[in-house]
Amino acid sequence: MWDQMLLGIQTAFTLQNMLFAGLGCFIGTIIGMLPGLGPMSVVAIMIPVSIQIGDPSTTLILLAGVYYGAIFGGSTSSILINAPGEAAVVATSFDGYPMARKGQAGKALTIAAISSFSGGTIGAIFLMGFAPALASFAILFWSAEYFALMLVGLSAVAAFAGKGKVLKALMMTLLGLMLSTVGESSLFNAPRFTLGLLDLQSGIHFVTLAMGLFAVPEAFFLALDVLRGKKGGSQEAREISNLRINFKEAKTIAPVIGRQSIQGFLIGVMPGAGATIASFLGYAVERNLAKPEERKEFGQGSIKGLSAPETANNAASTGSFVPLLTLGIPGSGTTAILLGALIALNLQPGPLLMQDRPEVFWSVIFSMYFGNIILLILNLPLVPYIARLLAIPRTYLIPFVLFFAMAGAYIGQNNATELLLLIGFGVFAIIMRFADYPLPPLLIGFVLGQLFEDNFGRAIRNANGIQFLWERPMTLALVIATLAFVLVPLYRDWRSRRKRPSLG
Amino acid sequence: MLSINRWVALGLLAFSSGYGYLAFTYRILPFERFLAMKPNTLPIGLAVAGMICSIALLLMPEGQDSASGEEKTVLGSDHKYLESPGDYEWGKGVALLVLAVVYALSLRQAGFLLSTSMFLIIGGIMLGERKYWILVPVSCFASFLVWYLVDEVLTIFMRPLPMIFYQ
Repeated sequence: MWDQMLLGIQTAFTLQNMLFAGLGCFIGTIIGMLPGLGPMSVVAIMIPVSIQIGDPSTTLILLAGVYYGAIFGGSTSSILINAPGEAAVVATSFDGYPMARKGQAGKALTIAAISSFSGGTIGAIFLMGFAPALASFAILFWSAEYFALMLVGLSAVAAFAGKGKVLKALMMTLLGLMLSTVGESSLFNAPRFTLGLLDLQSGIHFVTLAMGLFAVPEAFFLALDVLRGKKGGSQEAREISNLRINFKEAKTIAPVIGRQSIQGFLIGVMPGAGATIASFLGYAVERNLAKPEERKEFGQGSIKGLSAPETANNAASTGSFVPLLTLGIPGSGTTAILLGALIALNLQPGPLLMQDRPEVFWSVIFSMYFGNIILLILNLPLVPYIARLLAIPRTYLIPFVLFFAMAGAYIGQNNATELLLLIGFGVFAIIMRFADYPLPPLLIGFVLGQLFEDNFGRAIRNANGIQFLWERPMTLALVIATLAFVLVPLYRDWRSRRKRPSLG
Repeated sequence: MLSINRWVALGLLAFSSGYGYLAFTYRILPFERFLAMKPNTLPIGLAVAGMICSIALLLMPEGQDSASGEEKTVLGSDHKYLESPGDYEWGKGVALLVLAVVYALSLRQAGFLLSTSMFLIIGGIMLGERKYWILVPVSCFASFLVWYLVDEVLTIFMRPLPMIFYQ
């Protein structure tokens, strides 16, 4: 095994492979910033180019770099303009964007870069140490446990159920779940709720909904309120000194990074879970672990709330290589595309890969350390310049935000109906914000909805009823955790309401 | 006059009821009848929960929700725009949304380059930009750059020119 690892180190740290790892990270980061081009599309786009290289190790190293570069790039647009172009970075915008609005864009980007780096690096260490053992553990997870995991993920909405908002947050989650049932589903035979519209046949696209809910209202409110931009990010974003994090902040996020690297990695290992669920779950868990006064900051610009999903999604994307490399099972859309690339390169991923082609297996893992360092070196010096994007005059910023949001939904679809739908969601989101409804729960419901129904359906079919909820110990434990996450804030809300009249 | 909260709750109730109606009347295929979970099982549950939730929101006494000023977020509530509408430029906000709709409808006929440049230029002018010698080249360059990146570099097709050139 040590010989094989040494062979991997030798392969990974050749000049060519290091250059390609850096190139992959760079391309991924730049393209990942564009809404609508998530890791899956970026990796897919890069396949024809990378296969030309011929060497399987180099190809995989380049594609892996593109993959985590794109996840990191996506978080930039989430933080700066509230435009999460990919489901895995939605949770990043919950606290990243409020931080940018408070004039801490530089700091937010720095925290995102450090968290991503730590998540990715710790994930790579786990990948090296436990890959084979974890692969066999991951397949013990059945649809019942996945369903319970979705429930824990959905409990992240509790973060937006501040005083008096519990019902509103719940309603928004239900609405998100309803929207996720539109179109075709893997469980059933015919599309549902399409109202006869062909454009809805494949369901509502994530980018359309995310841009409509987040970016369009932001552009609208910026146009409406001349002062909004000024008291928000633009003025303070020029203060580059604000990008450093101090010792106290580093101490605050260190345990979050530690926990979320492990949790994110373990979730990434499970086929079908991936970076999106890891980020929501990371957010939910950290919020519940936080002290009451810290908890209030979640959703308002909490550094813990930003660090948790950023660490978790990068650790999970590293984790998703475990089933791919050791079992040949792609755990997510992106790793499915990588599997295609491996097969095209005449490699058979699976238990034998480690024995037959150890240099490929280990070099990919070692290149991850290098790739993550590159990502950090690449991004930290760029932070002040990227943060300055917010200082662009509003006469340019507003149309460009709107344009980027719409381009995200238009790219690859060439469908104007998609854009009309996006603006429709935007108008809906504006009305909901006037009425103080939290919008992130809707997106959480939507993203997890499809997986929620699929796994629930499969679990019910396997068990022929809902007894799996209490018969499988792991499912039961996860369900109880969810109930606690949801009921505790509800109880607090009820108690504070009872107290209020007596105060008046 | 109903407050915005009541109107929204009413709208959500109408949506949940409509969704529930569609779920309830959904035509289940013969072989799906015996499934433990039918295509409309979850939707019916969601519709019922949505209706209960929206009725509760509708009946909730005014003042129990954050919009009425009980709890303000760090960044401030967006409800403030309705409290003093005179302080804000509503015309610009609405015009921007209308422009976005026109942009969406023009993309097919006018092609990506022309419609995007026009969208950015008109958007800028609407918001008060008067330095046309900067606005026009920046907008045209930005739309060309995005098109070039997406169509030429990433090879994702986006029709650049107006429809007339393809007939």
